[in-house]
Amino acid sequence: MEEIIIPIVVVPILFIGLPWLVFHYITRWKTAATLTTDDERLMEELYDLARRLDDRMCSIERIMTAENPNWRQIACDPASTGIEDLGRSPAPARRIGQ
Amino acid sequence: MTARHTKFYLDKENKKWKGVCAGIADYTGIDVTIIRIGLVLLTFVGGFPWTFIAYWVAAWLAPVKPREFAVETPEQTKFWQGVRASPARTVRDVRSRFREIDRRLAEVETYVTSSNSRLAREIEQLR
Repeated sequence: MEEIIIPIVVVPILFIGLPWLVFHYITRWKTAATLTTDDERLMEELYDLARRLDDRMCSIERIMTAENPNWRQIACDPASTGIEDLGRSPAPARRIGQ
Repeated sequence: MTARHTKFYLDKENKKWKGVCAGIADYTGIDVTIIRIGLVLLTFVGGFPWTFIAYWVAAWLAPVKPREFAVETPEQTKFWQGVRASPARTVRDVRSRFREIDRRLAEVETYVTSSNSRLAREIEQLR
């Protein structure tokens, strides 16, 4: 009895189950997202662009700081800390809550 | 520019024997000395024939690093090591850099436009 059952169980596992498993993972691996040459080029370009823009931003910020050291506060609240003479402006705007 | 940046290459410039360890170091960004010591330790611990076989197979299969990659700056080398480790993280990194630039540019824009309106008001007063 055992001599019949064991081959019936083992043969399908060996000749159907195993190749199935192997091919399943092969197709998985083949369809997995990989970087193509175009992706690589695009990525390099974007990275380079970001770096260059960063440099440009830095130089612009340096120029702005040289021109007016507290331009950041002015950008946040243009009314109270302007470069102009506050006494001459028609009505100095007030900050909310003051 | 047909050579791929995301492949494993033998690094013949920093080689000790065939350039496999130097290639792994170049691919991953781990220090080459650590990889060499690790490989020797692995050989002594019990991987005796297998590390040699793996080394030879790698040396036989992998292509030599293309000449055009030799002129890379350290920053570029680091960038490609990051891409090989995790492309998604590199993309997120680049995106965050762009967002940062956008934010700083917005600050400058706010200042410039607000100071322009201030200038216009001054001119209006002088009339």
